[in-house]
Amino acid sequence: MSEPVMRRTQSGHVAGLFRAPAFRVYSPLAKALSLCSVLSVLALAAAPLQAQAATDSAPGYAIESPKAQERLLLDVASLGKRLVAVGDRGHILYSDDNAASWTQAKVPTRQMLTALFFVDDQYGWAVGHDAQILASTDGGATWVKQFEDLEREAPLLDVWFKDRNTGYAVGAYGALLETTDGGANWADVSDRLDNQDGYHLNAIVAVKDSGLFIVGELGGMFRSADWGQTWETLQGPYDGSLFGALGTREAGTLLAYGLRGHLFRSADFGDSWQRIELNTPHNGPLEFGLADGNLLADGSVVVVGHGGTVLKSTDNGRNFSLVNRTDRLSLAGVAAMDNGNLILVGQGGAHVASPTGADLGQQQ
Amino acid sequence: MSKHQQQPATVLERLIFNNRPAVVLLCLLISIFLFYQAAQVRPQTSFEKMIPLGHPYIQKMLEHRNDLSNLGNTVRISVEAVEGDIFSKEYMETLRQINDEVFYIPGVDRSGLKSLWSPSVRWTEVTEEGFAGGEVIPQTYDGSSDSLEDLRSNILKSGQIGRLVANNFKSSIIDVPLLESYPNPEDQSKLIPLDYQQFSHELEEKIREKYQAQNPNVKVHIIGFAKKVGDLIDGLIGVALFFAVAIGITFVLLLWFTHCFKSSLAVVVATLIAVIWQLGLLHTLGFGLDPYSMLVPFLVFAIGISHGVQKINGIAIASSEATDALSAARMAFRQLIIPGLVALLSDAVGFVTLLLIDIGVIRELAIGASMGVAVIILTNLILLPVMISYIGISKKAIKISREEAVKDHPFWRLISNFAHPMVAPISVVVALGALGGGIWYGQNLKIGDLDQGAPELHPDSRYNLDNDFVIRNYSTSSDVLVVMVKTQSEGCSTYQTLSAMDELMWKMENTEGVQSAISMVSVSRQVIKGMNEGNLKWETLSRNQDVLNNSIARADGLYNADCSLAPVLVFLNDHKAETLARAVKVAEGFAKETNKDGLEFILAAGNAGIEAATNEVIAQSETTMLVAVYAAVGIMCLLTFRSIAATLCVMLPLVLTSVLGNALMAYMGIGVKVATLPVIALGVGIGVDYGIYIYSRLETYLRQGLSLQEAYYETLKSTGKAVLFTGVCLAIGVATWIFSAIKFQADMGLMLTFMFLWNMFGAIWLLPALARFLINPEKLRNKA
Repeated sequence: MSEPVMRRTQSGHVAGLFRAPAFRVYSPLAKALSLCSVLSVLALAAAPLQAQAATDSAPGYAIESPKAQERLLLDVASLGKRLVAVGDRGHILYSDDNAASWTQAKVPTRQMLTALFFVDDQYGWAVGHDAQILASTDGGATWVKQFEDLEREAPLLDVWFKDRNTGYAVGAYGALLETTDGGANWADVSDRLDNQDGYHLNAIVAVKDSGLFIVGELGGMFRSADWGQTWETLQGPYDGSLFGALGTREAGTLLAYGLRGHLFRSADFGDSWQRIELNTPHNGPLEFGLADGNLLADGSVVVVGHGGTVLKSTDNGRNFSLVNRTDRLSLAGVAAMDNGNLILVGQGGAHVASPTGADLGQQQ
Repeated sequence: MSKHQQQPATVLERLIFNNRPAVVLLCLLISIFLFYQAAQVRPQTSFEKMIPLGHPYIQKMLEHRNDLSNLGNTVRISVEAVEGDIFSKEYMETLRQINDEVFYIPGVDRSGLKSLWSPSVRWTEVTEEGFAGGEVIPQTYDGSSDSLEDLRSNILKSGQIGRLVANNFKSSIIDVPLLESYPNPEDQSKLIPLDYQQFSHELEEKIREKYQAQNPNVKVHIIGFAKKVGDLIDGLIGVALFFAVAIGITFVLLLWFTHCFKSSLAVVVATLIAVIWQLGLLHTLGFGLDPYSMLVPFLVFAIGISHGVQKINGIAIASSEATDALSAARMAFRQLIIPGLVALLSDAVGFVTLLLIDIGVIRELAIGASMGVAVIILTNLILLPVMISYIGISKKAIKISREEAVKDHPFWRLISNFAHPMVAPISVVVALGALGGGIWYGQNLKIGDLDQGAPELHPDSRYNLDNDFVIRNYSTSSDVLVVMVKTQSEGCSTYQTLSAMDELMWKMENTEGVQSAISMVSVSRQVIKGMNEGNLKWETLSRNQDVLNNSIARADGLYNADCSLAPVLVFLNDHKAETLARAVKVAEGFAKETNKDGLEFILAAGNAGIEAATNEVIAQSETTMLVAVYAAVGIMCLLTFRSIAATLCVMLPLVLTSVLGNALMAYMGIGVKVATLPVIALGVGIGVDYGIYIYSRLETYLRQGLSLQEAYYETLKSTGKAVLFTGVCLAIGVATWIFSAIKFQADMGLMLTFMFLWNMFGAIWLLPALARFLINPEKLRNKA
């Protein structure tokens, strides 16, 4: 029996076809959406979209499975004692024993969840495909669906909350959603960004004493000094996609990162950028894409990505140590546990690692 | 002496013995014709005959066969670097040469051939401009350490680890898709069907032997259906040698038994004629010899010899009274035709019950064996006595036989104690204990094949070692259950279909014993992620139909031409019956709740699907067949002896043997499968012979007024040696199979040897003990 061929699309003619800008070809919808949002400014001025309740979504709750913890997970958050992770098939897992064991939460969706944000150890939100937004008020044990929009045919990719009431979600084709009532109502405020072509917004983060920052497809950068009301488009240092950004402990300082080992640092809320060189021990410059990062309680910064890449900085992002984990599994999220070890999530689920990202018992 | 001998000659007897030259001539002519036919019999293994064609899984599989063809026939050659890893100039050079050599072997689908050296094996990575990629081994490759380092990083980026390259980088695979038939190089318009045996031999000579000799640092492992079938056919031919061994041993035993060279020769010749007739008829009727029906000539030979021995024994005894060879032969014929016919007919009836099982090879085995038994009636019950009537039995043999008749036999005297009123109850209690123990232990008996790898071959056969190597070093499993997903034309790529497939895959992966599942959904997810710059957050199905359509463009082989059928491949840990049953149950449950609006989940294809169907058929047939074979044999006995008690005496020892046989199978780790299912019917059908021969004699002596033990002693004296000899003969015929290269033949050999020997022992030991309780000698005497 032959094993079916499975790999990513190959180069050649296919590459031309699938180049990121060309991807728009498949999405007249994106154009329609951006057109709609322009119109909505004139007419409705961001009237709250009624949250489409869970009633019209077909499949029910996520299947509870002991294998969920080995499946693709995409984000992880540390709530002090508890870890919460989200991923494929509506899986939300939580652990109260530093990832020794996981419990699968009851989740009203089977769609992939892409990001997670907890504002404190009780209130948190998760976003994902079908533009879903889920919320928990009990530290991640139970979840309710607050928002969903199948018509978009697009995922939300990140979420951030200022407090238990005010928050933002960003996603594909330039989606920016806002709530001021803890998620009871979500409004589409995509038109606050100057993003005519509807490029994906990949991450939204807070920068200390400065405001909010969004990074996205093709190097897109947006910042808001008034925490979400008005947005300014920046000319970034890079044309490739940025998958994540991260504020450090220093005021106005943030990191942005994306394709092929590109990582930039700004100390002035995005006015000027400096590329941070990342070199592997043997193979020259890091070529793996960087996906997500986290500012740990001790002030250090960790960024993870493809090929088992784990970067760590203890000087607010000026210099990084680099580990490529032996299993080379791609990583999508990271958090610190209260014993100092890291919890990494991505392909193959959750992995416990030493504070530098190496396998436990094999310190580098 | 017995009453039978005073009976007047029957019509049949007169017909045969008054026209002896005609009988001989007729047999000669038939033999010439059938020998010509038999010479054309060829070994064959037809896949379809080994599977239950009536089972819905198989019917669905055959119905969609053309749509699944891409999952089919592939041989995988794994080239291992014994020292070091694959990143050496010498290794890569050998790999290239093997790749090129394989390319030119007839039957290889050259366009699909894939190894590290194939231009179609590429690496890709996502860059700012989109995808970048190239051949894993670029045109600039020169074997230098730099280019080997490039090769290493290309392989890492190619996603081929676990597929074309072993997880530990110590071996790599050449994927060789095959064509079931290929154009004749001389005449392109004609197609030659792929000869598996020849193909397998070419792989051995041109690849394994040649390159292992050329580069001692490589080891070649070859797996795939074509290689397995090639090895099976080789094993099949090896079995032919066993036939010669069985003939040799049997002839020596015959000499020892008859003390007469010419009659021994006559028995062997008559029996070989039976074998030739059977093979000739097989070919005339359009059958070939497969690894199962290969058993039939052995059985025919063993059964023929044992009836021949009875005949010689009878003639020798008759010779002490008769004046010449002819009248001795006539007397023996008269005396043995009825028990002989009954025994052979019950053999045949036992075999015919195998027709109840809906598996081609078993049915052919049934037809072949029944035919063989019919042939033995002609050769050994009719031709043999006629032959002996011409050549006679040596004086020495007659003298010994005459002495034996009057002389006391301490051994048989001892054995006759089994009929003793004190011993019989003990025997019955012991038998009941054995029966209980057998039933208890036999509960561990499993359905299906239990060993890893290819169950047809021994676990330590080269094929299975190769298979084990590949499973250990690559991310793959050899046990695949395929669920077919059917939609309207062009419907396979809709979100509804794909998300249902996705859910099935997840359900399956959460089933114990399932390793992983693959379908076009797996490809779609990967491609959508790739289209989104490798971002893991996109590794899922999209609701956008255009995106889905593009994402499956490269999933070739995972859906059919008009996108109406797509397989879900479920890889299992093993093919144990529980594993299969569990996986099938989950898939069926899912299909039941999901099948609607033109979307259908259909079971099943893949080797595991076929085995699941086979197991179901076997589990259902097992009881039916047991009931049928016992009913058939029981009716034969009832008709012959016209006594329920006598029938019980003959049948109960067989029941004990069947039960102990099951316990033995459980102990040896042999499952009930296509190969072992017929064993029970064969064992019972043939095993009943002993009982019939012993009981018919015993009854004769009881009618003459002897006490049970005395009658049993006389029975043993006249026929005991022949019964012993028969058991040994039958056992030898099949015991050679234990050494077969084919695992299931070895299992059959072992089980049949046990059944034949234990049935004989059961008849000698238990029959008289049961007779002590069930038979009333007074009544018999009165009847007489």
